[in-house]
Formats: sequence, structure tokens, C-alpha cells
Amino acid sequence: MIGGIMLKAIDLTKRYEDGKLALDHVSLEVGEGMVFCLLGANGAGKTTTINLFLDFIQPSEGEALINGINVNKKPLDAKEHVAFVSENVMLYGNFSARQNLDYFARLGGKRSLTKKDYYDYMRRAGLKDEDFEAKVRTFSKGMRQKLGITIAVIRDTENILLDEPTSGLDPRAAAEFVGIINNLRAEGKSILMSTHDIFRAKELADYVGIMKAGRLVMVRSREEFLDADLETVYLDYMQSSAS
Amino acid sequence: MLFDIIKKEILENINSPKFVFSFLLVTILILLSTFTGINTYRAEQREYVAAVALNQQNLENQPSYQALAGLGTKINRPPQVLGTIVTGIQKAVGRQATVNIAYDPSLIDSKYDSNPVLAVFGELDLILIVKIVLSLLAILFTYDAIVGEKERGTLKLSLAARVPRDKLILGKAVGGLISLLVPLVIPFLMSLIMLNLYPDVALSSGEWMRIGLIFLLFLLYLSVFFTLGLFVSSMTQRSSSSLFVLLFIWVLFIFVVPKASVIIAEHMRPIPSMHEVTAEKDAFLQGIQASTQQEIRDWMEDNPREGNSEFQEDFRTKLEEVQQGATAAIDGKNAELENSYQAKRHAQQILALYLSRVSPASSLSIGSMSLGKTGIQEHERFANSIKSYKPVFTKWVNEKMIRSLNFDSGGQQPKPEIADMPRHSFEPQTIRASLTLAIPDFTIMILMAIVFFSGAFVAFLKYDVR
Repeated sequence: MIGGIMLKAIDLTKRYEDGKLALDHVSLEVGEGMVFCLLGANGAGKTTTINLFLDFIQPSEGEALINGINVNKKPLDAKEHVAFVSENVMLYGNFSARQNLDYFARLGGKRSLTKKDYYDYMRRAGLKDEDFEAKVRTFSKGMRQKLGITIAVIRDTENILLDEPTSGLDPRAAAEFVGIINNLRAEGKSILMSTHDIFRAKELADYVGIMKAGRLVMVRSREEFLDADLETVYLDYMQSSAS
Repeated sequence: MLFDIIKKEILENINSPKFVFSFLLVTILILLSTFTGINTYRAEQREYVAAVALNQQNLENQPSYQALAGLGTKINRPPQVLGTIVTGIQKAVGRQATVNIAYDPSLIDSKYDSNPVLAVFGELDLILIVKIVLSLLAILFTYDAIVGEKERGTLKLSLAARVPRDKLILGKAVGGLISLLVPLVIPFLMSLIMLNLYPDVALSSGEWMRIGLIFLLFLLYLSVFFTLGLFVSSMTQRSSSSLFVLLFIWVLFIFVVPKASVIIAEHMRPIPSMHEVTAEKDAFLQGIQASTQQEIRDWMEDNPREGNSEFQEDFRTKLEEVQQGATAAIDGKNAELENSYQAKRHAQQILALYLSRVSPASSLSIGSMSLGKTGIQEHERFANSIKSYKPVFTKWVNEKMIRSLNFDSGGQQPKPEIADMPRHSFEPQTIRASLTLAIPDFTIMILMAIVFFSGAFVAFLKYDVR
């Protein structure tokens, strides 16, 4: 950890082989117990940023650091300190919720958890008892997303990356999701979340970064964006991008 | 971690409806094919015993060596017990050959000749089930092994959880292959138990060993399709594309390559038709017969019977000499034509077989037929053993026929002593020889599986998980 900064991007740039610039010198920091939301339109570079933190793609320039570890140089060491929740994860449909949880917990190095432990984690994420041993193929999207968050939570890492976690959730499931993230923040987790959902970002974020055409064009703290009316600021940036 | 991935892969497959469906389907098919194979073998065994007894009876009923020479003896091909699982070409080729002094023996009266309906519906043997049904299942189990995980989002989750890519692909390969083998191994063991329940289907220790080797060939064959599926799944970004590519390759391997290799071999190494060869043999036979008759007539003109007390013995000696000479000439010419034809045909067959081995399906068929003693080589060995027997029989019957000529007995000839007749014998191929024939097939499949898995491994290390 570098002075309480858990996730850090330094001039992170990604240019694909076809020449397309997906990310252009993005720098950001996420401190301990903070939620950083990346807002932006499709193709703005939000998911590319998350993918670079997970070593799914290699940066053309710059560095992504997790707890001070360069992800590109030591991916397995860096991933020891991060959990991930993706958009619309289907999981293994032929497995029960508990079996999915058990598998991903073991992959993450948690091998001594009992059935009761899994049930407790799922309860905390808002899943009902009758869903614990049900096949995941029968789950709604909201239930799968809760299970996805449980998978991230169970690894008990200092950092969590979320890629469009509220996409497609109904209002009730989205509200429950906000509660879960607030709890994680209270536990001191550093959270970097990409989202389209300006209202969730407003509810959750300690910092909001607006991305446009691969660039992080604005970063505002909670106090700043609440004072300035985030919706107006966001729309101004989007309109300027359209022009 | 590797164990967790393997366990997950097995459990996920076993819990899937496609596994349950596959297991039931393959179990039904394998048990049905074994049951059919056993019943067919028992019927063939009964037919064989009856045919041998009938031939013996016919031989014993012949009034003279002359009649025996013309009628000849019938050689019956015994059914192979391993035909219960590898039918091979047994049904398509002849089961019986007549050996007499006149014609070259050839196997006729195939199972399909006697009951053409069988040819319409084909044979459902274990090879067919493995070759078509299980290879298709291997594709259905693997087409989405990698790309499907990507589509479900689980690939990102796994790789985000500190899983090295090499371990993930290795675990998926091992776990997936184990779960694919379950629908083969359990029904296969059940079919072996079924074979053991029939006392008249006696399997020797050598035949058990052959079954073990055939099973090894099955495992390799499925590994080829499994690793191919893994490879294509690691090279595509959509499961629908992966399935389409794999089905295309499957059709090429199963149907196109084997047929195309035969057509290519026919064009590259053309051979005369069997009718042309037979016509040439007939022309030579007629020529020899005419010259033989002329030689006898000339001898009789030069050696009148009247006043020659040694005529009968001299005639017998001359006839024997002319007859043996004619037979030797006919046999020599026939052998020359036959050898030339067989050499060309063999070269064409070898080329077709080698070309077809581009397809693992062909390698499976060729290798398992070699091991089951139901392939082309064993058929040719049997046919050659009959051809080798023909001069032995001819020499014996000619000698007996001539020695039995008695001009003083008013045409009365002695009844043949069948116990003296030399018998046809055939030694089935040894397991070592069969294995030698099947080694190219084992090698090809091992190499294919290694190449496909290496391709999958390298492709997955670079796979775009986004």
C-alpha cells in the first residue's frame, strides 16, 4: 500500500492493434474505504480501465497498481488483493448457489469454509435460504448479481472492482446492492466501480470520474459533485463530447 | 487449485442434462449393439458348423476322384468372436470358397449376398457408435469449453481469482475428458459383462488383450475430438462459431476424407477391372485345354493301343504328365495375373488407407479392424491361404484321379478316401502382428491429440477474455 492508496492508475493507456485508442493516459487513485465510480457512455474506457487492473489486457503505456504491485509485471501477486464483480455474470447454471460459491472461494484460496459459512455470506448478500441449494440456472439476474457479489466478498480482499454491477437490475435489487456496497466500504474496502447509472454513483461514490473517449476528463469528490449537481455536470460533458 | 478445477469440470458436466442424455443414449446403443453382435456371432457360428459338416458329407458322397476334382471342396471362413464389437468387413466379403481343379478360388456368399436387407440398414457395432455418436458428443461437450465460459462471464471471474491460465486449461482438459469418458467406460464394461454371460462366446486371453487395445484406441480417438473441441473453443469468440467450425471439421473427418481418399487413390493408382483379369485367365485356360487335348490325341495316334500291353500304364503316365503340366501352366499364369492384379490393388488400397488416415475416424476403423481381426488384411490373409491350398488340393486330386483310372474295370472307379485329403489350414494373425498393423493408427491419434492440445494451450494463454 502506498500511503493509504490501494488502487492506482498512472498514465494508463491502451491502444489496440487496429490503432484504436481505448484509454488515453488515465490516472486515478482509490484510497482505503473509498468508492470511486467511473461514469461515462459506452466505449468511454470504463471497462478497459477495469480490464487493465485485472490483467485481462496489457497496457500500451502506464501502470496499474494494486496495493503498490504492478499488475502487468506481477499479475498473480496483484490479484491476491482484489476481487471482481462483472456485469451480467451467468455463473455455472448446473451448480447450486453454494456450489458456485465453493468453487470460486477455493480458486481464491479460501478452502476451509463450511456450508454454514457459505449460507451466512449468502444471507448477508440478501439471498433467501431456499435459494442456497437451488440451481443457478433458475435464478433471476438480480439473484445472480447478489451471488456474484458474495463471490467477491467471500475472498475478503482489500479491493473490489465492479464492472456495471447494477446493469439490468430492478429498483429493489439495485437498492439492496447499494446497501451491500456501503457495508463493504464500512469494512474498509477500496472499491472501483464502472457504471452508467448516475443515480447509484451519486448514492455511493466518494469520488466520481467522468470518462470520455478514453480519457478521464473530470474527477470530483462527493462534496464537489453534490454541490455542483452531478447530473448537470455529467450531461454537460456528454453534450460536449457529442459536439 | 488444479484439483478444484478438475472436480468442478467433472461435476458441472455430470450435473448437466446433456450428460444424462448422452449417458442414456450411449448405454442403450452400446448394449443394443453388443446384444445384436452376440446373436449374430452365435448364428454365424451355427451356420459355419453346419456348412463344414455339409461339405464333409458332400466330399464323402462323391463316387469318384473325378467327381471330387470337379466338385472340389468348400472352405468356410470361421466367424470372428471380436466381430461382436468390431464387425469390420466381415459382412461385406464372402464366407465360402470352392477349391477345385478348374478355377481360381474366390470367397463368395457374403452375409449381404444372402440377406441384402442387412446392407440397407448397415451394422450397428461399437466402432460405429464411438466413431459417430461419441465423437459428436465430444464436440458437444467441448465446443463451449472456453468460449462458453467467456460468454457466461465465469472465465473473467476465474482469472480474476488468481488462477494461472495454464492451470485453468489443463484442469478443464483433464476434467472434461474424464467426464466425457464416463458415457463410454460404464456402458463398455456393461457390454463386456454381457459378453461373458454367453458361454458360447468364448474369449481367449489374447482376445481380451485385443479388446483392451481396441478400448485404448477408443480413448485416443475421443481425446482427439476432445482436444480439437478445446482448440477451436480457444480460437473463437462465440460458441455458435465454435460449434459451426467443429461440425464442419467433424463432417470432413467422418464422411469426406475417407471417401475422398479412396477416389484419389483410384485416380492415382488405377487398376484393371476384375472382369478383365478373369477374361484373360479364361482365354489362357481355353488355350491350354485345347493344346492338352491335342497333345493327348497326338500321343494316342503315335502310341496305338492295339498290341501294346503297357498301353494303360503308358497312357496313365502320359496323362499325368500332361495334366500336371497343364495344371502347372494354368496355375502359373493365374498366379502371374493374380499377383500382378493383387499387387496393383494392394498398392491402391495402401495409398487409400494412408490418405484416409488424415481422418482420425479412418484411423479408428483401420486400427480396430486390425486388432479385431475383421479388417482387410485378415481377409486377404484368409483368401491367400485358400489360394495356397488350391495347388495342394489339385495335386492330390489329380494324382488320385489318374491313379484310379482303370481301363479294365469298365469305367468303375474307386470311391475317394477323404481322410487322405490334405486339409486347408489358417492361422489367425498373432496379436503382435495385429498390433504392428495398428501402430500407425495409435501414433496418428496420439500426435493429433498432442497437436490439438498444444494449440488449445497456446491459444488460451493469449485468449481475449473480454
